[in-house]
Amino acid sequence: MPLLSVNDLVMYYKTKMGYVRAVDGISFTLDRGESLGIVGESGCGKTSISMTLLRLLPENGEFQRGHVYFDDGSGPVDLIGLPEHEMRKYRWKGISMVFQAAMNSLNPVYTVGDQIMEAILNHYPDTSFDEARAKVAELFKLVGLDPKRMDQYPHQYSGGMKQRAVIALALSCDPKIIIADEPTTALDVIVQDRILKEMKRIQRKLNMGMIYISHDIAVIAEVSDKIAVMYAGKFVELADSVTIFKRPRHPYTFGLMSSFPSITGEKKKLFTIPGEPPNLLNPPPGCRFAPRCPNATKKCSEEEPNFIEIEPGHFLACWNPIKQEGERA
Amino acid sequence: MNGEYILEVRNLKKYFPADRGLFGRVRHFVHAVDEVSFEIKHGESLGLVGESGCGKTTTGKVIVKLEEPTSGELFLSGENVGKYVGPRKRDYHRKVQMIFQDPYESLNPRMTIFDIIAEPLNIHGIGNLKEREERVADLLQEVGLTPPSSFMWRYPHELSGGQRQRVAIARALVLNPTFVVADEPTSMLDVSIRTGIMDLMMELRQAHDMSYLYITHDLAVARYMCERIAVMYLGKIVEISETEELLSNPLHPYTRALLTAVPVPDPEFSRGEPEIMGSVTKPIDPPPRCRFYDRCPIRTKDCETSDHPPLVEILPGHFVACYEVEKRKQG
Ligand SMILES: Nc1ncnc2c1ncn2[C@@H]1O[C@H](COP(=O)(O)OP(=O)(O)OP(=O)(O)O)[C@@H](O)[C@H]1O
Ligand SMILES: Nc1ncnc2c1ncn2[C@@H]1O[C@H](COP(=O)(O)OP(=O)(O)OP(=O)(O)O)[C@@H](O)[C@H]1O
Ligand code: SF4
Ligand code: SF4
Ligand SMILES: [Mg+2]
Ligand SMILES: [Mg+2]
Repeated sequence: MPLLSVNDLVMYYKTKMGYVRAVDGISFTLDRGESLGIVGESGCGKTSISMTLLRLLPENGEFQRGHVYFDDGSGPVDLIGLPEHEMRKYRWKGISMVFQAAMNSLNPVYTVGDQIMEAILNHYPDTSFDEARAKVAELFKLVGLDPKRMDQYPHQYSGGMKQRAVIALALSCDPKIIIADEPTTALDVIVQDRILKEMKRIQRKLNMGMIYISHDIAVIAEVSDKIAVMYAGKFVELADSVTIFKRPRHPYTFGLMSSFPSITGEKKKLFTIPGEPPNLLNPPPGCRFAPRCPNATKKCSEEEPNFIEIEPGHFLACWNPIKQEGERA
Repeated sequence: MNGEYILEVRNLKKYFPADRGLFGRVRHFVHAVDEVSFEIKHGESLGLVGESGCGKTTTGKVIVKLEEPTSGELFLSGENVGKYVGPRKRDYHRKVQMIFQDPYESLNPRMTIFDIIAEPLNIHGIGNLKEREERVADLLQEVGLTPPSSFMWRYPHELSGGQRQRVAIARALVLNPTFVVADEPTSMLDVSIRTGIMDLMMELRQAHDMSYLYITHDLAVARYMCERIAVMYLGKIVEISETEELLSNPLHPYTRALLTAVPVPDPEFSRGEPEIMGSVTKPIDPPPRCRFYDRCPIRTKDCETSDHPPLVEILPGHFVACYEVEKRKQG
């Protein structure tokens, strides 16, 4: 069994105007030591997937169906069916998360050091106070923070320092899986490079699974073994990272990968995907990308394409995929 | 219009207390911004890049007068704004806006998206309710939160990270400000939406003769948006120049390291090893010498004993603060 198998996960937000279909039939697996990158337009449901997995939904988040099997070697457990007090054992120690909202995951009235210590002492009650403090100092160094600043409060940190504190927190209990949601948006490229290397090192050491959500395509290329491309609540393509970058088949993936600003070469006009982002309250019928897709045909707006394995490990939901070189029209 | 510059920043300093000793006396200080000077022309965007924690946000907050500087002066269109009070201060707050770095922190959780964006209109008594609604709907449309009616009456916690970021942008732009400090405004947006927002910001700049201080870690974004880039390290500007010149001819060892470490969107490529030493940077009570000394691959004995180097014009319009670069130019 893989470390994590997610089957047909569906979660909607209930609002006055109807359901926001944020997670709409998501399936994937994650092995030990593997990293999955998730990319997709702002608002397509990436954060919602992780919140559903961890069962940290807001009041109006309605779980609809699906399974999340977690297997750390002692047999698969469906996290969805667990009572809350059982689930708590899996958060942080089983699956930990670097939240996109760095500030929201730090408590403003406690020092940063105390918060990480508390997580360690909660999950490993045998740890002594001094051991825990030493571990926090070590984590601080690992993410490039001066351990002298352990006793400061979150508001005394810069944006990137808070982000690093949250990464330290997520690593504090030696999790089996780490979900990192835009963890490096506030970091300069040198610090970012260092932290990604450290995370990779820890991942290898603990044989940890990693889910990495980011808009930074270059970072995704660097950290992911495989990449899932999400559009309007659904995965539309999933494959190893070289395939996604070099031979994408879904027109949306192609759009996403074909143009990004660069610091070298000629300064060019940047590409945008034409049309408006989809309304998840009332998604278009058929393929949700149809109103913006250059390959769309009549069938696309009538019938929804299934997410199928077109070659080993390569999943795709599209009626008219991009032709590969050598393929006949 | 008074003179060439919309904004001039002179010898700006901001120190924060790092700890309090016995009897509440402050013994140590974080030198967040340390003698920073720059100016921005009418209609220009200046990019501000640099290490995490080097003082970029603090610089921005001082400019929008959310933080009092420890010392230094600020001029808007040639006028010293340090002593602005009452209506002049209000007017300043109308003209000068900031898009905050963390949209999870900066949006009031108890206000609807409409109220958040319309609040500045409210404060300054602009338009009636209907006009405000139209203005907000237009802005939502422009930042890609469509259809506007499905976003206006939601609360921030009902939005994704990138959606909140766009609300923060709309709020900062609602008054057609003359100067905007944009602190990582598009860090949570995908390429396509990001490009749309950057184009919008450029259009507004042309239409309203706006200027930006654009803080970002993404040098490609700085290249797209900014005529000039300033590189900051531990509270100091270490290099400043026209954008293409800076990217093709970086001179300060920190800038060079930064450019080497830029990741490339290709899974078969691994980024260069930046030439930089040491690790943790300590902005608390730094010694007077060059702030980059501890990590500098080309430092000399002179650097150790001298003060932090001044910014010197090495090439026309290209300023660098480094003794070695200066020597090499002369030698
Ligand atoms: N509590 C909520 N109630 C209603 N709608 C919500 C709620 N939380 C999120 N949404 C909506 O659900 C959709 C998915 O949100 P999610 O945060 O998962 O997006 P995301 O892919 O993480 O985007 P980003 O990259 O911008 O962070 C968005 O369109 C958002 O507006
Ligand atoms: N209110 C405060 N009290 C104490 N120290 C502060 C305060 N605000 C900022 N600092 C410190 O000042 C320094 C500069 O912070 P600032 O937020 O300006 O950095 P930044 O360049 O914006 O970094 P980032 O890219 O990580 O957001 C940091 O060392 C930070 O910890
Ligand atoms: S199914 Fe049709 S509309 Fe959807 S991505 Fe494929 S070609 Fe485009
Ligand atoms: S002044 Fe000296 S220490 Fe500072 S950057 Fe230049 S060479 Fe390095
Ligand atoms: Mg998100
Ligand atoms: Mg900042």
